[in-house]
This record gives sequence, structure tokens and C-alpha cells, in this order.
Amino acid sequence: MATEQSNSQIENKKLVQLEIKKLEKDFDGFKAVNNISLDIYQGEIFALLGASGCGKSTLLRLLAGFEMPTAGDILLNGQSLIGLSPHERPINMMFQSYALFPHMTVEQNIAFGLRYEHLSKVEITRKIDEVLNLVQMAQYAKRKPHQLSGGQQQRVALARSLAKEPKLLLLDEPMGALDKKLRTQMQLEIVDILESVEVTCVMVTHDQEEAMTMASRVGIMDAGVIRQIGQPIEVYEQPNCRMTAEFIGSVNIFEGTLSVDEPDHAQINCPDLPVPIHVAHGVVGSFGMQLAFALRPEKVRVDMEKPANAHNFARGVIEDIAYLGSHSIYHLRLPSGKKVLASVANSDRLVTGDDAPRLTWNDEVYLSWSEKSGVVLSA
Amino acid sequence: MTNAGIGRWSWMALVSGFIFLYVPIFILMFYSFNESRLVTVWAGFSIKWYGELFRDEQMMSAVWMSLKIAFLSASMAVVLGTMAAIAMVRFGRFRGKTMFTGMITAPLVMPEVITGLSLLLLFVTLSQALGWPAERGSVTIWIAHTTFCMAYVAVVVSSRLREFDRSLEEAAMDLGASRLGVFFRITLPIVAPALLAGWLLAFTLSLDDLVIASFVSGPGSTTLPMVVFSSVRLGVSPKINALATLLVLAVSMATFIAWWYMRRQELIRQKEIQSAFNK
Repeated sequence: MATEQSNSQIENKKLVQLEIKKLEKDFDGFKAVNNISLDIYQGEIFALLGASGCGKSTLLRLLAGFEMPTAGDILLNGQSLIGLSPHERPINMMFQSYALFPHMTVEQNIAFGLRYEHLSKVEITRKIDEVLNLVQMAQYAKRKPHQLSGGQQQRVALARSLAKEPKLLLLDEPMGALDKKLRTQMQLEIVDILESVEVTCVMVTHDQEEAMTMASRVGIMDAGVIRQIGQPIEVYEQPNCRMTAEFIGSVNIFEGTLSVDEPDHAQINCPDLPVPIHVAHGVVGSFGMQLAFALRPEKVRVDMEKPANAHNFARGVIEDIAYLGSHSIYHLRLPSGKKVLASVANSDRLVTGDDAPRLTWNDEVYLSWSEKSGVVLSA
Repeated sequence: MTNAGIGRWSWMALVSGFIFLYVPIFILMFYSFNESRLVTVWAGFSIKWYGELFRDEQMMSAVWMSLKIAFLSASMAVVLGTMAAIAMVRFGRFRGKTMFTGMITAPLVMPEVITGLSLLLLFVTLSQALGWPAERGSVTIWIAHTTFCMAYVAVVVSSRLREFDRSLEEAAMDLGASRLGVFFRITLPIVAPALLAGWLLAFTLSLDDLVIASFVSGPGSTTLPMVVFSSVRLGVSPKINALATLLVLAVSMATFIAWWYMRRQELIRQKEIQSAFNK
């Protein structure tokens, strides 16, 4: 059963549903979307992730048809969407504000789109029941939007956008209007619903946690271009540029020059560190070239004693400790003045009054990392 | 001590303000129940002037004429004012937008005498050049009232349109509605309260107007304010007091009902929101 499902998923991945080809959108000389090409596969949830103003919303609006591109093409199942207005596209969108019609009941909101499908009354009622059951809102069918809580409104908005069985579903900041606790719950619920109806979905968000929880692939957008596309684990563990590394999660960047480059290892001399950085793979580059070494805080070890390895360590002073419950963030300062973040899991229970030695402010410590834990990026 | 002093002073200010506003109206209403022909001499209680009022055909036809014109002007003003508001709010930036916006609201501050005179000149010129309007009457008053009421409607409706959530319209389009469908099924129902408010404002403005109507009216088309004004010049009859009393009553009733209805809706809404969150 499980193998069958994963097989079909792999099969689906091969089918391109949406092709974006060299798409451009120019607002009075400002390129909000700059020459983007992107393939979206059938049945996947793709997240466009970026800071506000990076062009992700414009790209979504181009797909929905609210904006017309300056150049390029959008193909859905091989058919161009250019020139079609929003109501002619087999695409539906869930808006950030949900955009539920305030003067209509939940039922009427969902029926709104179905009326344009030339369906019989019986058919419309059946579909309304179907989507309301899907989002578990059947008992609220007669309510008006203002009589619903935020989470309930979101379910209705989702039901409304799914009712017409769109070929492509667009989600604009789907959790933007919810509080944090409800967010985590709704993220998984929505993914379950989307997967059960097997709809292809493009979502836009500035919240990386949301993108990584919900999406099967993530595209990092910046200044109108997509910097990196990949599964959440890829963009986090193997960022392809400094922008991606710094945008997703937090990261320590060490700048240095390439000093050893063998097929199986390389070394980078970094002025901030007493010993060279040793990485367990070759770097295709020339000696002396400027590189950046990106190291995630959770991959930094913090010890009282000097580590045994000859590379990949430094001395530092604890400047600040942020205790976050499950883990603590140590703000360390190297002798050169460089600041390094280290995230350490609080695996032992800390009890006040316990005399066991514990790292604290102004302690001199050693930080170290393994030769496989960092990523070498061009400077 | 100082607090008490300020308290006393503000009470006095409040009371004298209300006296200033409402005593004249109460006196007017009081004398409508006067037996005497003379408005200012009390000669015992009577409601005979109310009977007289309803028997006065000139007065009654003026009331009817005013209501008719107010109804038609308000309706027309809502249609035109809404169109103007949409143009002002929705059409983005176009050449001459600032001028257009300024000009549509200019009648708000234009002296009525000027508006009236200019419309009179327009109608005279038109009738000379085109033969229409052949004579001034209820149609010309209707046009004149529509002109200035439209500006008020445009202001009321455009402020509502400005705070309108555009994503509602986009959602409707996304779900398959054409632009026209979006307007009639989404935009219009949602801004309907503003249209109603604009209509009521236009209705009262038209009902109340004396100056502009005097300029553009003709024989046989006398509105209520004109009748009242001209009869007062010949000496106030207690009939006018009776009429005024009825008008004040009607207006207060309408205001009270509107207030009560809106409060009730708000309470229901609050309760529903409460129950939604308690679930």
C-alpha cells in the first residue's frame, strides 16, 4: 500500500502541470518579476518563500490573472493562459483575508462559484455538502462569515476555492490572519485536505516554517528572481548562495580564502579562526579565491575543553544566552570580535540549586564542528 | 472645588445649548394647538388647525409635490452619484482626476443662489435654443435637485468605496463572475448601506430646499418650502405650526426607528460573534 502510494507520487512528479516561461512583470520600470521560469508538477504543494516586496505575490497574481505579464508565458496543462481573465482560468485562489462575501451565508459563498458552472440545483447542493464535509464545516452552512472564528473562516475559504475543482489552487499567505497556535494546527490540516483532493497548489508565504511544513518543494524568491528551488531539506541543508542560507533559518558565515583543494577535501583560511576550516569534499575553484563558509547554529558544538581535532574549532567567550526551553542559543564572541551563534539542545533537565557545572556568561569555551556540517558558498 | 465649579459651568453650557436649539421648536409645536388665529396669543387648546391643514388643498398638493420631487431626485442622485464615486475611487489615476474630484464636490460649497441662478439661465437658454423645457416646473426642479444632491451622494458613497476590500471583488472574479456580475452581486450589495444613507440625505436635502426650487420652478409647481415661505410673508397661520409639528414628529420617528433598528442589528451581531467564539 505504502509502496504503491510512493510509486504513484513519483509518477505524478514527472507530469508538469504548470509551466512558467521567462515571465516578467514590469511596474513603471520596476521589475517585480524578472525572467522567472518554473515548472510545477501535478499534485505537489509548491511554496514561494520570500521577504515582502520580493515579487512572490505579484507572481501569484499573474497566475490568477489579476495582473498581466509584460513578457513570457504561463502554460497550464500545455495551454497558454495569457490573455485569459481571472474568471476564464481554471484556477482558484484562497485570499489572505479569505475574502468571504460578508452578505452571504457559508452555503451561498460556496454556491457563488458553482453558479457559473451550469450545474443543476441538486448538483450544486451535493457539491456544497461535499466540500463542507471535507473541511468539517457542514454544521455551519447557514452562518454568515462574521459569525465564524478565524480558523472556521479559513476552512470556508478553502472549501470555496476547492468547490470548482480547480486545476491549480493558489494560496496567498494562508496562515497570515491566524494566531500562532492555530497556525501549526491548520497547516497540517490544510495539507491533509489538499492531499486528499490531489490538487496542485502554489502558495506564497514569508514564513519559512509554514513553507517547510506545508510544501513538498520550496522556491526562495528575492528581488523578482527565484534563487533556489528544492525540497525543504535541500534548501536548508544545501543552500546554493548566501542569500538563501541567510534567509532560511539563521546561519554563521565565515569568509576566507581557499588554501587546499583536493578531490576529497579542501581547506579555507579564515582570518577570524585560529585554524583553517576543513571540509570533507573538494571545491571546484582556484587557490586564493574568496569563499564563504556557512554553518548552522545547531551544528556548532560548545565545550569547556579543547577539542582533539586539528581543524574546525575556535575559542570564544559566551556573551549572551537565550534560553528557549527546548534549546538555548549561545552568542559567542571570538578573539577577532566575530560573533557566532550556537544552538544547544537542553537534553538534561536544568534544575535551580543543582551544583553541576554549567556554561554561563563570560565563560571561555571552545566551539567546534565536524567536517561535513558546513556549506561552502561563493563569497 | 474647582471640579465642582467646572461641572456646574459645563452643565449650564449644556442646558443653555439645548434651550437654544429646542425651545423655538417647542414653542412652535405648542402654538399649533392654539385656538386663536393669532399665533402668539394663547386662547385655549384646540386641534382645529390640523383639520384646516388637511383641508387646505394648496398646502396638501405642495406636500405631495415635494415628496414626489424628493423621491425622484434622491433616486436619480444615487444613480449618478454612485457612478461618479466609482470613477473617483476606482479608475486609478487618469488625466484631470484631481479636477474632476474637485468639481464633483464643488456644489457642496457653492452658494445656493448661484446654483439656482445658473440653472435658471441654463433652462431659459435651452428652451430658447431647443424648445425644451417648454416651461419650468417639476421636471426642472427635479433636474436641479438631482444636480446638487448627486454631489452629496458621491461623497458618501466614495468614502465607503475607499474602505472596500478589493480582494472581495477579485475573489468573485476568480470564482467565475464577469466584471458586471461582480458589480451587481458583490460590490452593490456591500455598499448598499452607503447608497441608502446617500438616498436619505438627498431626500431630506431636496425636501428642504427653498432657494434653488424658487429659481427653477414655474407656475403650478410649488414645493412645500415655497408655500410655507410665501404664506409666512402674509402672516403666520397656525396651520403652518400644525404642519411643522407633523414634520418634526415624522422626522423624529424616522430617526428613532432607524436608531433602534441599527442598535438591534448591532446587538444581534455582537451576540453571534460571541457565540461563534464560545463554540
